[in-house]
Order: sequence, then C-alpha cells, then structure tokens
Amino acid sequence: MALQTTVERVEARVPVTVVALDGELDASTYEHLIDDVRGLYQDGARKVVLDLSGLTYMASSGLIALHSIVQVMHGEQPPDLEGGWSAFHALGNAAEGGKQEDVLLAGAQPGVTRVLERTGLDQLFSSYPDRASAIAAA
Amino acid sequence: MTDRTPASPLDPDRVDRVLAPFAADGGRLGVVVEDLDGTAIGGSAAAGDRVTRDIASNGGTVARLVATGPAAGEPAVSAALDALAIGLGELAEVSTRIPPSELALGRLHQRSIVSLRAPEVPGYDLASHYEAAREIGGDFFELFRLRRRRRTIGVVIADVTGKGIAAGLMMAFARPVIHAALDAAPGPAVALERTNRILVEELHTRLFITALVGSLDAGSGRLRVANAGHEPPLLVPGDGRPVLNVTCGGLLLGAFTSLGLDETEVQLAPGDLLLLYTDGVTDAADASGERFGEPRLYATLDATRGRSAHEVVAAIRDEVAAFRGAVEPTDDVTIVAVGRHS
Repeated sequence: MALQTTVERVEARVPVTVVALDGELDASTYEHLIDDVRGLYQDGARKVVLDLSGLTYMASSGLIALHSIVQVMHGEQPPDLEGGWSAFHALGNAAEGGKQEDVLLAGAQPGVTRVLERTGLDQLFSSYPDRASAIAAA
Repeated sequence: MTDRTPASPLDPDRVDRVLAPFAADGGRLGVVVEDLDGTAIGGSAAAGDRVTRDIASNGGTVARLVATGPAAGEPAVSAALDALAIGLGELAEVSTRIPPSELALGRLHQRSIVSLRAPEVPGYDLASHYEAAREIGGDFFELFRLRRRRRTIGVVIADVTGKGIAAGLMMAFARPVIHAALDAAPGPAVALERTNRILVEELHTRLFITALVGSLDAGSGRLRVANAGHEPPLLVPGDGRPVLNVTCGGLLLGAFTSLGLDETEVQLAPGDLLLLYTDGVTDAADASGERFGEPRLYATLDATRGRSAHEVVAAIRDEVAAFRGAVEPTDDVTIVAVGRHS
C-alpha cells in the first residue's frame, strides 16, 4: 500500500512546513518519508507539522521514521538507512528534556495514536486534533 | 550426531539458533562461530571474504565470530558484528554457569524456520508458531527455564522494527542479551532496563525493539510481565469470563536512555491461557488491504476456549492464513500460548 506526501508551506508566527501523509506508513514507505523530510530541512524548513489525518495505518517501522524525522529536524544526520547500525544518539526521555517542538503531529487517527502510545513515542511529540490547531501552536 | 565436547562455553544448539536468521539471506552474508581451534560451532558460511571478531567472556577470548560473503565487509555489517560478538559473549558467560542439559530442553517445533524449543513444564502446555516474511524479519521469542530458578519460566516475545540484514543482526544480538538479562535480573522490568542500556549506550543502533518479557512461577501460576512497547498479552480465563487485555505498557527498547517500566502481575489459574503475539498477526492484510485486527483475534480465542495451547496457536495461524488468502506476508507472524491445565 502506498504512501503519498503532500507538502504545503504556511506563514504562521514562524514559517511552518505541513507534510500531509495519505495511505500507509510501513516498512515499504518509511524510508521515503525520511528522505522527503531531509530534503525539506535542506531547503530551510525548521518547523514541521505532520498531518496524519489521511494516514490509515502505521507499522512499527513508521516509528523509525518519526524518530528519524525528529533527528533530521534537530540538524542531525540520521544514520545510513540501508545499514542502520551507525552511531546515533538516543533522544532523551520526555521527563528529562520535555517534548521537542520542531515536529508536531496533527489529526492522528485512533489506530496510529494507539501505536504511538503503546511504544511511548507519543512522549516525543505534541499532538493536535487537526492541522489548523497544530499550525496555530507552532 | 558425533559426540562433541564443546571446546568453548558456547553450546552449538544455541549458536545455531542465534545465527539462524542469516541462513535465509541468499549468500550475501554468512555468519559462523568458531572455537579457538578454528572448528565451526554453529552458523552457516557464505563464499567470499572473511571478517572475524573475538568473542570475549569472563575476561578471555572463548570463540570467534566469522562473517563471510559479499556483505561481510560492509561498514554496517562491521558495526553489527561488534554487537553480535558482545551478545554471544554475554551468552557464553551465562552458559558457563548452566549445565548443557538445561539449555536444550523440550521438543523441536517443526513448523518453525528458526528452530525453537520450549521446555516441558508439568501442568502447562507451551506452544508457539513462527513464520518469517520473505525478507529477514525481526520477530523472536523464547520460553526457557531461568538459571538457578528452575521452577520459573522466562517468556520473551519481541519484534525488531525494520527489515533486512540490519534487523536480522539486531535480533541475533538482542536475543541472547535479553535471555542473559532475564537470567541475571531480579525481574522482567530490570531485565528490559538492562537490555535497553546495552542497546543505547554500547550499541548505538537506530533500530528499535518492542519486547514483552515475563517470568512465570510454574508452581503458583504467578506471572510477572514488563512490556517495552509490545502488544499486551491476552488472557483467556478458563472460567468463561471474556478475553482480557493484560494492561501493561511502556517505552520501546533503543530509543530512550531509560525506560522506567512497571511490572504487571497476572495469576494463571488452571484452565487459563495466556496469548502473546506480534503485530504480524493483527496487521496481516487481505487483498483489499483490510487488516486481521484485534476483533478477529479475540473471536478466535473465544471460539477455541478449553482447547490446548497447541490447538489455539494452530487455530490462530490458520485463521490468519485464511484471511490473508493469496497475499504474501509482509511481516513475521509470531504466536505464543501458555496454557495452564492443572
């Protein structure tokens, strides 16, 4: 099942890049998503809202994508995807550093929210019910 | 079988189990463990270059890890071999303190691609099914008697995120580390915390692992579980009550510097059955893209009440296969059932 990404740049209090995901985020699509966001960062994006309202399914490999996207937006180069064993620094716990604010989530469907909560990755992200509220908070 | 007296503390059977994922890799990468004389203890080789790592245990080299094949020289594999050597060293350290007979208990599950053995536990019925997707996947599970606590059964089910050689190596590494940690730790939460620390501080990987780890006191039926981001276990009560989701959860392994997991206690009464599974079961998709999902899993458990763990596992396996139809599996499927019958 494919994943389609649509990018939109919005002028809020700061420039916000909204990436809307439509389809399924799984082992066959997560690497493309990381590449897409890396490109956006290189083009100057510094605040990203991931609009998940069209994301119908997220496999555990989607977690790698979300984690890597945070790293990319921190200006870190995520390790080689093919190998996947290069050095990387674990992100601190939410309790230690609070949620990061470079990447916000919007409109996640219940199934996606469940995966995030089950694995604790929800602790990394501020989540908003929809795109507009996420942009307003960015 | 020839009568081999292992020159190293690494048991051939365990080494084969740890290295089994690489046998499926079509010759790009072979991984073998050799004793100090250069005799293979386990694993399977591929043609091509040789890259070696010492396996150290208790301060000395006890064996060598040898990677062969076209992928052996790749930088990603190099880092993974370091990790695998650490994992095998941990395993060797535990093995020196356990009589070999305790390492190879029980019977072989024929259907498994990774040959897996479960101990025979009086009063219990332990069953499992493992089915690998076409690519090297990252599921693994283990049922084993804990060192020095023979009446306690260690239960592990885990899923490495991602696919391919990196996921396979991660699984091969994590499996003995979790096993050793559960043997040595006072409980499953500490075992997962220790595993996470090794993953994050020593290994530097970007792959994650969801893992559900438990210790079952066979005498009392008391099960302690800790859950690092895995699907919670399901309890099928023998007295007819509805299938119960054993609420437990926490951070997955490899992403955070500490986990702070809680343990949940479950009492298994005679007639009860505990089901552990990976998302390959519930995420199995049919041709229209619909997922098998939890409701179908619950329904299958309801329909097989009172049956043995083997029958329940077989029923779920068959239901998932029938649902999927001709669609090729994209993820490993792992099902483990622990039934208490008396």
